[in-house]
Amino acid sequence: MARGNKEVLAKLEQIVGPDYVSNEEAVLLPYSWDLTWAEPRMPDYVVMPKTVTEIQRILRLANHLRIPVIPYVNATNIGGLCIPEEGGIVMDLKRMDRIIKIDPETCYAIIEPGVSHAQLSATLKATNPQWEGYEFSKGFEFGWGVHPASASVLAMAINHGIGHLNGRIGINSQLISSMEVVLPTGEVVKLGSCAFSDSWHSFLPLPRMDGLFVGWMGTTGIVTKLGIWIFPIRPYKDVLTIAAETAHDMTRYMVHWRHYSLCDEVTAVSWWLAQIPIPYPYQEKPKDAPEWFSYTVISGWSEEELEYKRKMWKKVVEEERARGTKLIDFEYPPEAKRGRTELPSRIVGSTKNYSKSCGGGLAWPGTFAPCKSWPILYEKWKEIYIRHNLSPAVRFTDFQGAHYGMLRLMTPFDKRDPDSVRRAKEAMVECVRVGIPLGMLPYKPPVEYVNELNAAADAGYVYLMAKIKDMLDPNNIMNPGKLGIR
Amino acid sequence: MALVLKRTDMKELAQIYDRISMCTQCGNCKYGYEYGPTENFAAMLCPQGDKYQFEAYRGSKGKAALAKGLLSGMIQWSDKAAHVIYTCIGCGACVEMCETDIKDYLLRMFEALKSETWKQNVAIPEGVRKWSSTIRENRNPYLEKHENRLDWLPASIRETLPKKAEYIYFVGCTASYRQKNIALATVKLLQKLKVDFTVVPDEWCCASPLLRTGQYDVAKEFIEHNKELPEKYGASAFITTCAGCYRTLSIDYQKDPPEGYTDKFGKANFKVIHTIQLVEDMIKKGEIEFEGSFNNVVTYHDPCHLGRHAKVYDSPRNVLQAIPGLKLVEMYRSKKFSFCCGAGGGVRGGYPDYSIETAIKRVREAESTGASVITCVCPFCWRNLSDAISALKSSMKMMDITEILEPIVKKK
Repeated sequence: MARGNKEVLAKLEQIVGPDYVSNEEAVLLPYSWDLTWAEPRMPDYVVMPKTVTEIQRILRLANHLRIPVIPYVNATNIGGLCIPEEGGIVMDLKRMDRIIKIDPETCYAIIEPGVSHAQLSATLKATNPQWEGYEFSKGFEFGWGVHPASASVLAMAINHGIGHLNGRIGINSQLISSMEVVLPTGEVVKLGSCAFSDSWHSFLPLPRMDGLFVGWMGTTGIVTKLGIWIFPIRPYKDVLTIAAETAHDMTRYMVHWRHYSLCDEVTAVSWWLAQIPIPYPYQEKPKDAPEWFSYTVISGWSEEELEYKRKMWKKVVEEERARGTKLIDFEYPPEAKRGRTELPSRIVGSTKNYSKSCGGGLAWPGTFAPCKSWPILYEKWKEIYIRHNLSPAVRFTDFQGAHYGMLRLMTPFDKRDPDSVRRAKEAMVECVRVGIPLGMLPYKPPVEYVNELNAAADAGYVYLMAKIKDMLDPNNIMNPGKLGIR
Repeated sequence: MALVLKRTDMKELAQIYDRISMCTQCGNCKYGYEYGPTENFAAMLCPQGDKYQFEAYRGSKGKAALAKGLLSGMIQWSDKAAHVIYTCIGCGACVEMCETDIKDYLLRMFEALKSETWKQNVAIPEGVRKWSSTIRENRNPYLEKHENRLDWLPASIRETLPKKAEYIYFVGCTASYRQKNIALATVKLLQKLKVDFTVVPDEWCCASPLLRTGQYDVAKEFIEHNKELPEKYGASAFITTCAGCYRTLSIDYQKDPPEGYTDKFGKANFKVIHTIQLVEDMIKKGEIEFEGSFNNVVTYHDPCHLGRHAKVYDSPRNVLQAIPGLKLVEMYRSKKFSFCCGAGGGVRGGYPDYSIETAIKRVREAESTGASVITCVCPFCWRNLSDAISALKSSMKMMDITEILEPIVKKK
């Protein structure tokens, strides 16, 4: 069965060639949903451009005909960001998969949207940091997240994705150094140092116009090239683990440890998230099991550096115990340690932890929140989840910078069962609602979370957002419906 | 909206919906990947996705989505749905990457999808329809007469074969009617190695093409017939030189779902060995002597049905490495991360251009190793890769391992 109309299809075929556009339902279907409870919406066309010029022509056509355009690469955002709320053209950017440049001296890479984590990690690992031909060490890395290796590096970075170096260097959107964007009206713009020379090393000291395209969920333009900082792989790594009885004690320890800026990452997971699979529906935690488990990854250039970090970590644990924080020793199995030190991983990045117990649904209230609020919100979320018969599978991660970080709740649910879908959605939206007053902000948010955000937002914030959106996208063709304002 | 199972009439799919529903659509299946202290692999492995690009065609994600969409009534059957289903070669690369609990059911799901197409008014590829319409009569998918099945076997050899033997050499349709060079090399090889075997005139197609295209009812006749052969000829085992026959006889005939089809056809119980395993075993026991050498750089192509489907990766490599003068070089995509030749799943008959395009990609990869010979242990791969070599006017030579071995071995 075909959707859309033949005239538009013919025009799209003229732009990209008949092999790379379709309006057939059997082809469109995988673009209509994702892992989450977001309502499936069928696009009318999918188009796969290869060049910036093709993107410009598609956007001009879409503007002329007022057809929505939804940028897409892999759609593993767990927020329904690529679901076409109002139909239209899904622009699948997978064919734009060139790693245009890796500069091993200045330490940045330039990538297209279709470059996967698999592609980039393999290429970076084979490239050595150097200066004037002298190689300092072996291999580069980027912030690798916990997601399928086929996920887009660019899409993840511009949507505030989390990488494994978040405690040391920040989240991936903080590692962007330059970009090229096609505006909704078809013009191509370069932002950052690449606007002035061939060097893609930095946005600073220029105005941060990249902010018009980062965190906007594809509603303000199509980012066609991205400069990103890359980092030498440190050859020495270890994973240190500790458990706690309460979210309060775990947070105390994490903030104290991250204070010294010695770790690549420090993360804690509740008992329910530590289970494989996450129990669905809710199961009670065994009375003798700690409620919280944490790991921290340390890295260094020598065993001595690593040993120093181990000593400092032990000191933190001892000091916390001395002031009454109840911390419990536990050891990660070797396989779990591998999973933390060998990212990106097809196993850790898969969804096996979430799908075993039920019918393929996975969503989260994925948020950034001040560490101060974590224990409070955890108790509130726990109550909400147990009430909805769901497991409170919560994760804390303290990011580089202020003491804030990821507070999220991985939630499997059964997509075959309307009641399961409804409960999951209701529970998550309620979690977001109670969290916003405590400083919590959802990232890669589904429309329902955006609505909660907008309802709580300062009026000036919403006003400016609408003004920027109108300025950049006068016909509101870019991923309409995602910002909750137009 | 929940994906509620509504189309229970699609029995083959509906009965595994619990598993299909476990695909989270994460997309891990779309790209081959391994990373660690010693591993650093990243490459496209899905021939279908590589060709057609859209999500529907990439890895298992698209097909699982299609199955969910059809079962929940979100979409209806169409010619395009059939195209998505039939351009999947069933190579199993996505199975290697999948980490969710649909993993073991993916191949079954692909075949169940194909099975359902026969009940719908949709465009099954003409090439598949054509051989399917005559296979019952001919007992092979090549539109050849069954009575000509042993035409490849010279009378001088045929006369020497016993009526009953320890092994039945299950020649397979491709080697019987097309790659007769491989059948002949195999028989000569087995005779030189003094293996107690015979070839039987009433061998029918193993049913691989029928199962791979979801034609279960027809497959049943073939499986029930072939199952009787070992007892009839007093044999304890089948020897195959075809990866497809090996997979079908050893897995589909014998293993419970999701790997095999004992739920449909009952359980056979006989031993199946591939020629290459027999040779490997004899080399290990010191029973084979090499009378000559093979002074060439060789790269080995893993047939999907022997490699990913049956996990036989080392035997051919061990044999190749034992051959004097032979230098084995690996393609980047090998073993579990091999790239399909493009022939299987009904694709060679159904979509010959796409099939050969896939084989050309593989031959180009083989060329990049610097090898002068591509070898494999599957007549069907042999045919497709050989056609790709011709299409490319490549200087590479295609040889089955039996063809390399036969002239230079003898039993000690």
